[in-house]
Amino acid sequence: MKLLKPKKKNDPEYIAVSPAGKKYVIRNPFSEELRINGHKQDVKIFEDKEGFTFIEFKNKKYLAEITDKSQNKYTVLLNGLSYSFTIESPISYKRRKYLEKHKQTNKLEIISAPMPGKIAELLVEENTQVKEGEAILILEAMKMQNEIITQVSGKIQKIHVKAGDSVSKDEVLMEIER
Amino acid sequence: MKIKSLLIANRGEIAVRIHETAKRMNIKTIGIKTAKEPNALYLRLVDDVVDFSDSQDEIPEFLDIERIIEAAHQSKADAIHPGYGFLAENPYFARRCEEEKILFVGPSALAIFKMGNKTIAKQIAQRYNVPLLQGSQRTIKDSKEAEDIAEKIGYPVILKAAAGGGGRGMRIVEKASNMEKMFRMAANESEKAFNDSSLFIEKYVRNPRHIEFQIMGDRHGNYIHLGERECSIQRKHQKLIEESPSVALDEKLRIEMGEAAVRIAKAVYYHSVGTVEFLLDADKNFFFMEMNTRIQVEHPVTEAVSGIDLVEWQLRIAEGQQLTLKQEDIKLAGWAIECRINAEDVQAGFSPNLGIIEKVSFPKGKNIRVDTGITDYSVITPYFDSMVAKVIIHAENREKAISAANSALKKIWIRGIKTTVPFCLAVLNNKKFKDGDFNTSFIEKEMEKLYYNEEEDEMLAAYVAAFDFAAELETDRSAKPDFERGKNISPWVLNKRLKSL
Repeated sequence: MKLLKPKKKNDPEYIAVSPAGKKYVIRNPFSEELRINGHKQDVKIFEDKEGFTFIEFKNKKYLAEITDKSQNKYTVLLNGLSYSFTIESPISYKRRKYLEKHKQTNKLEIISAPMPGKIAELLVEENTQVKEGEAILILEAMKMQNEIITQVSGKIQKIHVKAGDSVSKDEVLMEIER
Repeated sequence: MKIKSLLIANRGEIAVRIHETAKRMNIKTIGIKTAKEPNALYLRLVDDVVDFSDSQDEIPEFLDIERIIEAAHQSKADAIHPGYGFLAENPYFARRCEEEKILFVGPSALAIFKMGNKTIAKQIAQRYNVPLLQGSQRTIKDSKEAEDIAEKIGYPVILKAAAGGGGRGMRIVEKASNMEKMFRMAANESEKAFNDSSLFIEKYVRNPRHIEFQIMGDRHGNYIHLGERECSIQRKHQKLIEESPSVALDEKLRIEMGEAAVRIAKAVYYHSVGTVEFLLDADKNFFFMEMNTRIQVEHPVTEAVSGIDLVEWQLRIAEGQQLTLKQEDIKLAGWAIECRINAEDVQAGFSPNLGIIEKVSFPKGKNIRVDTGITDYSVITPYFDSMVAKVIIHAENREKAISAANSALKKIWIRGIKTTVPFCLAVLNNKKFKDGDFNTSFIEKEMEKLYYNEEEDEMLAAYVAAFDFAAELETDRSAKPDFERGKNISPWVLNKRLKSL
């Protein structure tokens, strides 16, 4: 496969940052050479006759799919696992670093449905205190009752659902004030 | 009576599996179409389809006894195979089939009833000298009674749906203060899943192995067992990887447990294939758990090592044929492992991953068997369970089976949904699993990470994201309206587009 060479003379540089803060500096992604964090290795992106997109790297095949993107935020499914990144240019990366340093932490924790299902039971009421790790409601999905657990301690500010409601994935269930 | 046509009252991979054997036996197959899955794979394979798409009832299609009976008459089916789940262990359904002169492919309604009611099953086990765990001899009425019994036999205890199976309606209670909440949850779940909220309670054995025996019996008094299955790799009581045989059993224990399983089958004049489940504690004491009066999800590992088609025998026994296999004919060869591939997101607590399978490809090979109900463009709906395929490996020994399973799983390509493949790989690469040193608490205790990946995987994913981002920058976004913003475009497509600019 012949890949398009960039028009610019100098190699563009991109920085992919994982949610854990891991940084991958990728130089000129269009070359058939993977240049990440200073390493150099042959790499190939190709599509097979079945319609799968693969990366070939060190004689191994990896199935790759971009499952979500909006602006510079990406989720890539590689060999069945999701990896999220924000892609920055060297300049925007600097700005991001600056902003992170000066950011205030959000006081409101939003609990949303991790999967579609039905609210089987609410275990808390508005204006009650909850502790981290406490079960706050039971969501029934695929015939299983799943306890939804809060990751933060705080006061239940608002409950958006009631028992018996059907919810879709990512629907907001509760707000907890830290 | 020879079965000429068979109504398959099930869906997914098991409907496909039953169809395959029936076809080989020259039996016409009839499938049930639902509005929830109108384009499912099994519907393309069966010889005839009855359409339940107009179902408006509260009762889900595969649980609608009267409608299924009517469909059998309508389509002139002389037998019904219930598969697993749904009506497979519903004694009333088996009884209705008997009344309507339709062959039910399974044991008698009475055997299903006795084994399905865990309290009766336990009484039978006790009478036939099969070891049991301490607990309530009958169903308990409320959490107060549960507390009283727990006080006597000691915590931890387990609450179980009397009508249950498959891990639903089960809760472990560590201390008295949790009893009320756990009782309520187990009863709720049990009511939802089995239409019966009754529970019983028993002593909970920490870290046991789950060992089950495949048995077969006919209407002429012949009974045999086909050895054990090791099903200890479970998450929330759901089996995920199964093997046959088990490293935990030697020949002596195998004979002892196999004979106990056969005694249970004989006690209820069991005429079909069935499974007797045991717990095996660290000191190799075994305890009767329950009997599953149906074909099980994990039956292929037994088929692999025994060379016997269990669905074929189910059908032949239902026809009234003699079980011509004798216990001494059963020779188990090699080692088999089954990995369940579920549409679940391992990185998000195994939450169901619904969606459309855009493309799927499974590995092929002499010792690889793939039982699946999906194909390209299949839809994973919230209405049914999340299992989409089973990959079964048969090899000379356990070590080779594990290594073959490893390479087979790495050749499963699915686009559109996430599956439990990375989880299965993590188990297969775990040292304790490889050593055979595990029990039902394995996933909780021994697995730090619930999925398998290598160091460079994240880096390669970062490369794909950067590639796509760079490609997008190159296209002149201001010149053209971007209709596909936020959609999934493969880097390949983008690259082709770039070239044609």
